[in-house]
Formats: sequence, structure tokens, C-alpha cells
Amino acid sequence: MTDTPSHHPGGHGPDDNNGNGTPTEGELYALLAEYDTPGELVTAARKVRDAGYANFDCFSPFPVHGIDPAMGIKRTILPLIIFGGGFTGAVSGIALQWWCNTHTWQWNISGKPLWPTTMPAGIPIAYELAILLAVFSSFFGMWIANKLPQVWHPLFRNERFGRVTDDGFFLAIEAGDRRFDSVQTRKLLTDAGAIAVDAVYQDPDPRKKELPRWILGFIVASSAFALIPLAIAAKARNSHSSEPHIYIFPDMNWQPKYKSDTAMDLFPDNRANRGDIPGTIARGWLEADDTFYRGLDNGAWTTGFPKAYPDGAPFAVDEALLKRGQNRFNIYCTPCHGYDGHGEGMVPTRVKAGGGLWQARNLAEAPQANGTGGVVEQMPNGQLFNTISNGYSTMQGYAAQIPQADRWAIVSYVRALERAQNASLDDVPEGQRSSLK
Amino acid sequence: MSVLTKSLHPDEKIKAGKLGSNMTKAGAGVALVFLIVSVVLGAMQGDHWKRFLYAYVVGWSFIASIAIGMLWLILLHFLVRGRWVTVVRRLAEAMTGAFPLIWIAGLVFVVPVVLGYKDLYYWASADAHNATLNPTLHHKLGWLSPSFWAIRYVVYGAIFIGLAGYFAKKSREQDETGDPAITDRLRVVSGPGMIIYGFTTCALAFDVLMSLSPKWYSTIYGVMFWGSGNVAAFSALALIVLWVQRNGRLVHSVTEEHYHDIGKWMFSFTFFWAYTAFSQFMLQWYGNMPDETVWYKYRLFGDWQWVSIAILVGYWAFPFVFLMSRWTKRIVPSLAFFAVWQLVFHWLDMYWNVMPNYDWQTRYGQPDLNLGPLTGEISLHHVGFSAVDITVWLGLCGVLLVGIGRHLKGNLLPIKDPTLGMSLGHEQL
Repeated sequence: MTDTPSHHPGGHGPDDNNGNGTPTEGELYALLAEYDTPGELVTAARKVRDAGYANFDCFSPFPVHGIDPAMGIKRTILPLIIFGGGFTGAVSGIALQWWCNTHTWQWNISGKPLWPTTMPAGIPIAYELAILLAVFSSFFGMWIANKLPQVWHPLFRNERFGRVTDDGFFLAIEAGDRRFDSVQTRKLLTDAGAIAVDAVYQDPDPRKKELPRWILGFIVASSAFALIPLAIAAKARNSHSSEPHIYIFPDMNWQPKYKSDTAMDLFPDNRANRGDIPGTIARGWLEADDTFYRGLDNGAWTTGFPKAYPDGAPFAVDEALLKRGQNRFNIYCTPCHGYDGHGEGMVPTRVKAGGGLWQARNLAEAPQANGTGGVVEQMPNGQLFNTISNGYSTMQGYAAQIPQADRWAIVSYVRALERAQNASLDDVPEGQRSSLK
Repeated sequence: MSVLTKSLHPDEKIKAGKLGSNMTKAGAGVALVFLIVSVVLGAMQGDHWKRFLYAYVVGWSFIASIAIGMLWLILLHFLVRGRWVTVVRRLAEAMTGAFPLIWIAGLVFVVPVVLGYKDLYYWASADAHNATLNPTLHHKLGWLSPSFWAIRYVVYGAIFIGLAGYFAKKSREQDETGDPAITDRLRVVSGPGMIIYGFTTCALAFDVLMSLSPKWYSTIYGVMFWGSGNVAAFSALALIVLWVQRNGRLVHSVTEEHYHDIGKWMFSFTFFWAYTAFSQFMLQWYGNMPDETVWYKYRLFGDWQWVSIAILVGYWAFPFVFLMSRWTKRIVPSLAFFAVWQLVFHWLDMYWNVMPNYDWQTRYGQPDLNLGPLTGEISLHHVGFSAVDITVWLGLCGVLLVGIGRHLKGNLLPIKDPTLGMSLGHEQL
């Protein structure tokens, strides 16, 4: 900066531009004053405002409390923009889900209503969209309101101004202000306690005000690059190809093994599956005990219970078995048969509510005098076991869900239900009869 | 000197004078009148004080949550090296000074439970110990036994009284000595203090409120109670500051900037409470597990649905939309309106938390899932509003005022606090 003209060489007076890195060619842009503390900056801003200046701005490394009223700046409209964004997000989030749920993608889940009972599930999405659009409005609204992005500013030509991001507090009055007078304005800033006042000039080179070529190039290139996947997808949607897929890891796509139910030339039946060898049984699949696994006793339905579990433990009809049976019954059987076994569970209740007639079997019904009813009570235990395993009429089989031991526990509990609901006073222990009378 | 700091206005009145005794007298009068009326009304219910005690739990939760919320503000102020709070901190300290009286007032429902009263908490009843009837409750009874529960009540009280008392005592001490090391000391204590505070607040909510429905589960319940309580706490702070200023104290020190910050906390906790309350509802609604949805089944159908809607609209939607604006918080009458409004709705929120349990046990004798919620006739489920609900609440508000008034004495500003200047000069960005 030795070639910079200076009015007061070596001094530190108001016109000293030497040594602070501010070129003086070009049109005068502003007078830049530096203050020592944020407090002095606020005081100076108040004085400048009171002197009637409008085109001035303050610069500080961090937000300074009270600077806005000191400068006479009116409230920002940013909160309104953010509210608008958030409101739009919330409303469009609700509208999106209403549209999908009731028009484009009516998804029937167990006959549950589509709208508006499903609203609670929609709140998080509406909430997230409200936040997203509020944040976008906040971010981009701030940029637009501040006329950003701006890559160039005359104040950057002042070397002192570099400290504005560290510990410098600046106030600049633009030459375009109608009250601007290079002598009076400088005096005002100095009187307000400035430790230095510099004149800042516009860069005479107009190219400096343009976006640097490399940034422009980067934006164009990255935008173009971002379009490539979209272009490939668009092409694929509108063209046909007989070429095979591109396999990046062929050894993963084609593994040297046979999958089940595929063809294989090695064997005469051309199947990759090799079934059980005739005359053999896999370990644990023998199921030799006819009573335990199938409810049979010498080819007929058993009327009793199995003698032992497959592991050899004796089979006992005791309270533990009944409790287990009750527990399983309440899970698997009550939807149709009801807790009391009368066949009035939730499913038949709903059928009735919908005007239907179907009713589940009453498990606890006693045989009537005319020979009807009591179907389950008269059924041998083995047949009841078989019905639980394989189903009957509209009842599905539960073999896949309930292990054999639990099925037998349910059989014992059904017997207990029948007994309990068709009991007479004689069934009650002697000592407790009086409490029922 | 920077403009960010101000010195105390020379004409400022900072001595409490008769303010405290006036508040104590007024509070004592209110408490006496309304609690006597409540006792009469409670006896007339003819339900062995059950309604009275349920209403008492509502009112007690209301006043306890206000003191708990203000203790949080004091802890937070030191924890984050806050500045603006300093001018209202003495008032917040006075509000936490009510803890001993609040905990004594709570004995009205704690002592009967210890002495074997069964109708308030189901877990205290003999039925609760029936493992067949209450398979999911049985394993909780070690925690929910009357004596252990009462011991915890005392422990929570000791923690709150101790923390609040320590911060208030040290603050007063600084008025005398002006030692800035006291502030540093309180900053050190505020960290662990905040952790202890958090656990204690949640545990209190679990024990006093959530255990009214002992078979129900919600881990966020304590946080929800705390959020709702802080809405009321900041509302109460705003009203007390306003009242102090109307009586000529702190008129220059507390400005619209401070009201604005109190209003911001009211706004944020209005939303925070709603956020946690919705999180709880959303997960249980979506999960659709009977032992969780039962709690909402009793609140979202029948008469209670109108209370739920009133809370949704009145406690969240309306204040949320209006408190969002800068001006509703800076214009003091508007802020005062919302403070009163939110206090009323905080009471309704506590009522909504507690009272459905009353009807539950009355109608079905016992909170058993198979008997009550799944097959019960929802249309018969009434709010069963009673005058004693209101009078107990007002009486306990009087108790709270007595507790606060006893601590409104001496300096109403921490005059030697190193952050006082910054608090006096506080301005919103």
C-alpha cells in the first residue's frame, strides 16, 4: 500500500488512509467508523439516527442487544414469513394425508375408518412439514430480506474492516444519504467516539461486482451433474432394452448352489429338492404316540388324556394344566367362543351387530332332553383335540399355532368350563354349599 | 460502561415492607374460608371423604407444580449463567419458599393412606394384593406400599425444600456480603441440583398422580407433569411480578423485556406440555394395548371427551397461537390475561389427570381390565363435577399464597448479585 496517496503521511488524523489498506481511487461509497465496544457502537448509532441519517449500517462480530432501536430499524417481517411457512406446512401435511387416505390410496386395515379417526397418526407428519417449511422460510426469507447472496461489498476493500468478524465494531454512513457531507459526517462519527474514520471507495473495476467465474461455473456444473440420475431415470422410463441388467457383484447374484424347488439335471426326477428317503424319519419327527399327537386310542378317539409327554414326563390333569389351558383358551379361542365358551365372542358379536346370523359353537352346552345340543360335551377328548388341531367347518386348524401339549391343556379347560356351567349343588364341596344358598 | 448494563434506578423501591404480610393475610383468609367450606362439602358427599381427597390431590398437584417450576427456573438460571432472571429471582425464590408449607399441606392426603385409607389409591386396597385379579399390578406393590410411598413423599419434600432453601439462603447471604464467590458456588451446585431435581420431579409425578391408575404405564408422564406445571409456574410468576409492581416495588427494574421472557417460557412450556402429552397419547393410541389405552378410554369418551377437547383448545391451541406473537408477551395486560387463563387450564389439566380415576373405581369397584374398560358402558361415564373440586383448589391456592408471602421480605432484588446490572439492562434482540 505504499503507492496509496495520503493527505497526512504518518499521522493518525481523520483523513489518514495510509497503512489501513483502503484504496482511494473510485467513487466514494461511505465513511466507515470503528468503535471500541458494542456499547459505544450503540451510542454512536443512536447519534447518527438522531442526526437524520437513513442510509447507514452497523457491523459487529455478534448480535448486539438494543442495536435495532438505536439505529431506528423497524421490526423485521421475517416472523410473519416463518409463520406463513409453518402454517402452510401444517395445512399441506394434513391435506396430503387426507387426500391419500380418502382418495388416491384408500388402505383398508381391518375395516378401520379411513378419515378423520386416523388423525393422530397424521399429526407427526403435519408437524414435521410445519417445521420444515418454517425453517426453509426462515433460512431463505433471511437471505432474500438481506439481498443475499452478495459476493462483493465495497467495505471489504478496507483492511481494518476485516476485524468485524473478530473484535471490531463498525458503523458506515453511505455517501448516497441525502444528509451526507464528507466534513460534517466525519465530524459526527468522530464526536461519537470513533477510534478511526476511513473513507471507503467503490471499486472502479466493474468485474469485481460480478459473481466470480469459478463459483458460477461450479454452480452450473453441479446442477448439471445433479440432473444426470434424473436423466437416466427418464430415459429408462421411456425406452426399451434387450440388454441384460448390469451386475456389479456377479458372484453374489449367481452363487454356486441350488435353491429349493428349482430344476437340477443331476437326478432322474430333475429336481434340486431331495425329499425324505423312503423308510426314514428325521430326528424328533417320529410322533409315535397316537394319543398325544392325534388323539387316537387303538384307532378310535380317545376318551381320556395321553399317558405321558414325549419327553417321558407323566401327563397329569391338575390345576397347573387347567391354568395353562385357561391362559391359551383366553388367547386363541375367546375371539369366537367367548370367555365362557358360549360362542358369543367378539367375532360373532360383530357379525350380529352387522346384521349377520353366524354364531360360534357353544362349547359348554349340556345335552337337551330331546337329543339335540351338547355336541361338544358328548365329543370324546380325542375328537376335541383333533378339532383344535385341524379345524371343523368354518373353524381353522390351530396346529400351526398351538403345540400339542397346549392343545391338550385347552381340552382339559373346555371340560372344566362344561362342568362348571352345568353344575349342581352336589358338585360343591360340603363345607361351602351354605355360601351359595 | 456499556449500555448492556444498567445500574439500579435511584428512586427504585426494593424493600418488601408490608407486601409479604399482606399476601400472607389474604392467603390465610382464602385458605381458611375455602378449606372450611371444602371440609363441609366433603363431609356432605357421604363417600368417606373420597371426593374431597381426590379434589385435594388435584389442588395439591396444582400448587406443588408451581413451586417445582420456579425451582427449575432458579436452577436453570445458575446452570446456564442466565442474566435476565436476576431481577425477578427473589420473587421466584419466595415462590419456592412455599415448599415446606406445600409439603405440610400434602399430609392431608398422605397421612390417611399411611393409616390405611383405601379409597384414594387402589394399590393401597386389599384387592390390589389379589394376584389373580391383578396379575400386572402384583409385582408393583413392593414399590407402591403405603409406608414406602409415604417415606418417598418425605424424601421428595426434603430434596425440594433443601434445594430451594439453599439457593434462597445463599442469595440472601450475598445481599449482606456481596461476595461474588457465592454466585460461583451456586453455579457449581446447580448442575447436580438439576439432575436430582429432574429425577425427583418425575418420581413425584409417578407416585402421587400416575399411581392413581396403578396398572397403567407411561414413562413420559413425569415430564408431561413438569411441562404442564411450568406453564402454571411462569404464569404465576408473571402475575406476582405484576402485583409487586402495582404496589410500587421494582417499577423501574422489571421492564417489558423481562415480561417478554416470562411470556416466552409460558409459550414454550405450553407447546412442550402439548408435545409430551401428544407423544404419550400417540404412542398408546397407535400401540393399541388394552392396559395402555384404558387410560385414554376413560378420558376420550362420554362426558370426559368434552373436557379433553376443552384442554386441547384452551390449554394448547388458543394460547399457542396468540402467545406466539411478540406483542402478546410485551403488552403486560395481554400477558396477564394469558397467565390467568393458563393457570385455570393447568388446574383443569390436573383435574383431567386425577378425576377420571375417581369414577373408574366407583363404578366398577376395582380397576380391573376385564370388568371395566373393555366392557364398561362408556356413555354412563360422567365427569361428576362437584363444588368441592373448586373450593379445595381455591383453598390450596390460599395456602400457596401464605407460603410465598412468608418469604416476601427484605430486598426484593438480589442487590449485590454480579449479574444484576446485566439483568437491569436486559433487552431482547
